[in-house]
Amino acid sequence: MNYQPSDYLPIIVQIGAALAFIVLTMVATHWLGPKRHSKAKDDVFECGIESVGNARTPISVKYFLVAILFVLFDVEIIFMYPWAVNFKTLGWDGFLEMIVFMSLLLAGFIYVLKKGVLDWEK
Amino acid sequence: MLTLTLILLPIIAGLLTLSTKGENAKVIALVAALVELALGAYTFFAFVPDATSQFGVSYNWIASAGIKFSVGIDGISLILVSLTTLVVPFIILSTFQNNYEKASIFYSLILFMQAGLVGVFTAKDAFLFYFFFEATLIPIYFIAAIWGGENRIKVTFKFFVYTIFGSLFMLLALVYLYIKTPTHSSEITALYETARLLDASQQGFIFWAFFIAFAIKMPLFPFHTWQPDTYVEAPTAGTMLLSGIMLKMGTYGLIRLLLPIAPLGVKAWGTVAVVLAIVGIVYGSIIAIQQKDMKRLIAYSSFAHVGLMAAGIFSSNLDGIQGSLIQMLAHGINVVGLFFIVEIIQQRTKSRELSSLGGITQTTPQLTVFFIIIMLGSVALPLTNGFVGEFLLLKGVFEYNAWMGAVAGLTIILGAVYMLRLVQKSMFGTTTSLTEGFEDLGLTERATLLPIAVLVIVLGIAPNIILKASEPAVSQLLSIINK
Amino acid sequence: MNAIIALSLFGITNLFLGFLNNRKILLPATLLFVLIAFGLNLADWNHEYYWFHNMLKTNNLSINFTSIILVATALVVAISRGFGNDEEHTHPAEYYGILLFSVVGAIMMVTFQSLFMLFVGIEILSVAMYVLTGSDKRNLRSNEAALKYFLMGSFATGIMLFGIALVYGATGSFDINGIGNMVNQAKLQDIMLNPYGPILYGGIILIFVGLLFKISAAPFHFWTPDVYDGAPSIFTAFMSTVVKTAGVAATYRLLSISFPAVYGLWGNPLVYITCLTLFIGNITAVYQQSFKRMLAYSSISHAGYLLITVLAKTPTTNSSILFYSLAYSIATISAFAVLMVVSEAQSKSGKPDESFTALNGLATNNPFLAFVLTVSMLSLAGIPLTAGFFGKFFIFADAFSNVSSLFKTIAVVAILMSTVGIYYYFKPIIAAYLKKGDLEKIELSPIYKLTLIITTALTILLGIAPDLVKNIF
Repeated sequence: MNYQPSDYLPIIVQIGAALAFIVLTMVATHWLGPKRHSKAKDDVFECGIESVGNARTPISVKYFLVAILFVLFDVEIIFMYPWAVNFKTLGWDGFLEMIVFMSLLLAGFIYVLKKGVLDWEK
Repeated sequence: MLTLTLILLPIIAGLLTLSTKGENAKVIALVAALVELALGAYTFFAFVPDATSQFGVSYNWIASAGIKFSVGIDGISLILVSLTTLVVPFIILSTFQNNYEKASIFYSLILFMQAGLVGVFTAKDAFLFYFFFEATLIPIYFIAAIWGGENRIKVTFKFFVYTIFGSLFMLLALVYLYIKTPTHSSEITALYETARLLDASQQGFIFWAFFIAFAIKMPLFPFHTWQPDTYVEAPTAGTMLLSGIMLKMGTYGLIRLLLPIAPLGVKAWGTVAVVLAIVGIVYGSIIAIQQKDMKRLIAYSSFAHVGLMAAGIFSSNLDGIQGSLIQMLAHGINVVGLFFIVEIIQQRTKSRELSSLGGITQTTPQLTVFFIIIMLGSVALPLTNGFVGEFLLLKGVFEYNAWMGAVAGLTIILGAVYMLRLVQKSMFGTTTSLTEGFEDLGLTERATLLPIAVLVIVLGIAPNIILKASEPAVSQLLSIINK
Repeated sequence: MNAIIALSLFGITNLFLGFLNNRKILLPATLLFVLIAFGLNLADWNHEYYWFHNMLKTNNLSINFTSIILVATALVVAISRGFGNDEEHTHPAEYYGILLFSVVGAIMMVTFQSLFMLFVGIEILSVAMYVLTGSDKRNLRSNEAALKYFLMGSFATGIMLFGIALVYGATGSFDINGIGNMVNQAKLQDIMLNPYGPILYGGIILIFVGLLFKISAAPFHFWTPDVYDGAPSIFTAFMSTVVKTAGVAATYRLLSISFPAVYGLWGNPLVYITCLTLFIGNITAVYQQSFKRMLAYSSISHAGYLLITVLAKTPTTNSSILFYSLAYSIATISAFAVLMVVSEAQSKSGKPDESFTALNGLATNNPFLAFVLTVSMLSLAGIPLTAGFFGKFFIFADAFSNVSSLFKTIAVVAILMSTVGIYYYFKPIIAAYLKKGDLEKIELSPIYKLTLIITTALTILLGIAPDLVKNIF
């Protein structure tokens, strides 16, 4: 605890520099860039293909479910990395805790399966 | 033990009444009230006239907070317990002509109310006092709100919120005092001791908290706005309970709590209170003179009378307090009689308007005699019960301040004006279409009015029965106040 | 702390019970789970334990709070009626499961020793509540409430997390005792001696904002009426009892252990917040036409009463908060129980009628419900011989025990606001007894009736003999 508030000055400078850069570039592009409007230019960008229909069409909720489940289980798996790195130091205790963790995760997975969230056609 | 019986008997009888159906309810209620009256009479005559609290019991109730279930009767309580036990049978008897819907609930509420009232007057623990004080409110609220007149819901609600508002201030003061007691005790005598430790500003705070609570209950000017409407809208039995007994909870509270706990507060602010009370006397009387509705007229007369009682109490001398005690008893009896007569007239003629009445005397010699006797008691003619109280009260106020005594003395003149006007307009003169063929009293009506009239005269001739019983307790109270 | 572990497992068990296709088993099972947790919780009585590497600490105070939370949960579960028979649109197994998870969060909030656990507890509780608030998916108001609650709630927890970070920065500890020691030793009150003072101040205030948001104290109460009104009644009952108790307990734990040395810093704003909460909660409740919304505002006002004793910090504050929370919780649950059946019986075109007029004439055909309603309203209003009276009594006693004359003012405000409270708490009673209505007799299931009898009897019992629980607390 030897730090004084003045020691944090570089951080403030950094924040100031970051903000200034953003503001500066935004203002600069507005000034410098030429503005030419045409029908093709103002069109919605669609990888070069002509755009079709409305962008706000409803999408099946199943996509979201799958996506969110992926994120969920994916993120939980991240916890295994630090455990794997410290496998030996954590020892049996760590192993048991990991088993508890994994079984909870497994229970969740079984629940998801049983609920039929992953059955695409139902 | 006797005190506990006096509280429990109406509760048990009330539960019994609640379980019956139809006509039996009023009979059971009346029998219970008469047994209670007998007990009350026994208490009165068994009471040894000294300053001690008698017939008491005390149990630990809420040990962690030091609250006790402690009741007992001293000279001051005795008067009010007598009043309660005496008046309730009359109130029940006065309803015998009516057939109320859900009669069993009606009569059980009256009995619960009686239990609560006896509890208020005998509680020796401040919080117990508060509980009973609040508990009486629930039955009277429902009596007025279920069986009352057209406007009942709004009016009784105003009454309820108003009085709760006041009593919450009392709670505030009680909690404040209770915390200041060295042993966290809430016995009223312990609060007397604690009050010695407080300085003038703290006592001023307590004075006002108590004052608001009791001034609303009585009511004193300018806290009286709930009163006339509620008296008019409530069924007559409810009005009798309110004006005959419940009003005395306020005056009793002044004597029991406010005076001895905040003597410095009374010293600083007592004049304000006396002035408010006297304003109430004059104001109430003047409005009473102009009333057209009989019930409303008596309501305002009661407002004026209670002003005098409060003025007497705040002058804090022996005459003032003794006078207020006997006046509480006398007023309770008289006002019940008056409201009953109004009820009789209203039942026969379907009207309470003075302008549409008159000439009733021609067919009703008995009613006239009773009405005039009770009226004279209310006007405070010598040899009636009202005289002793009013005389002592005026003497007390006069000792306190001669000018205030003089203004308060107006009550005699103004009281005579509105009371005579009441009798004259309703009873004398020419008969109207409504009062033609007015029948004289029936048996239960006579049975109610005769004892009341007898009491008016007996207490007027021999007030010493009452005064002697309460004097030692009042003297002791005064010594506490002046310590 | 086995209750936390048990409840987590029970929550998962509940989810799987849902596959049995037998809805009837869920309610008794959940009730049993809560009771088991209650027993496990009591097993630690009279011991002080640290759990999970000093993350949580149980003592009698936290066990008492946990008990109140579990009792309230059990009562709420008992009046949930298995969430109806609508096979398609309700998911009772999930609701019960999530309810148990949120109780886990609530228990963490009352037993935390590290600020981490406070945060995690609040998040577990809140996320569960966001879901449950929006569980009535076809009801627009329920959706709106959930979204509102989620946005506001996550914002508040964010602010609180920032506060925790600042406090850590200033004191170098997450442990509440450690923080308390640092605050004491480092003389943070004096900015001249310790330049970290302002950081700590900022941290305390931000944590404070987050917690006050959870207990819906003004001026952080804006979400409350809409969310309480929009959520299904059963979850509103849960929120206004369990969540509030946990929030107050957490606030009290943090303030009394970590920051008593800087009382001047949080005490002064809290005085204003308390008065403002009492004022806004009570005055706004008067103008409500909906019984449910009135209860929402009343729950704001009760937060105000609870804050009085947190402020007074007398030796009896512990037991006063506990008693008040218990009295308030059982009375509120009874009120919601009556509201639920009556509003359903009075529903107009599929929507339950939650206004005061729905209660008109309740006493004619349903004297029992009217009586339950009356007792709960009297208790909330603080009329003597109900539990609510003693709740208020102990709080006023605490306020006066504090020597500061400021408390006289607060007590007067509280008394004035109690009078206002009587005004609106009597509206349902008047509607039930004095107004005319054509409500048929409502059939109650045995467990529902039993719950109402328990809450009513408990309210009266605690009003006559508060020592029964006061001696334990």
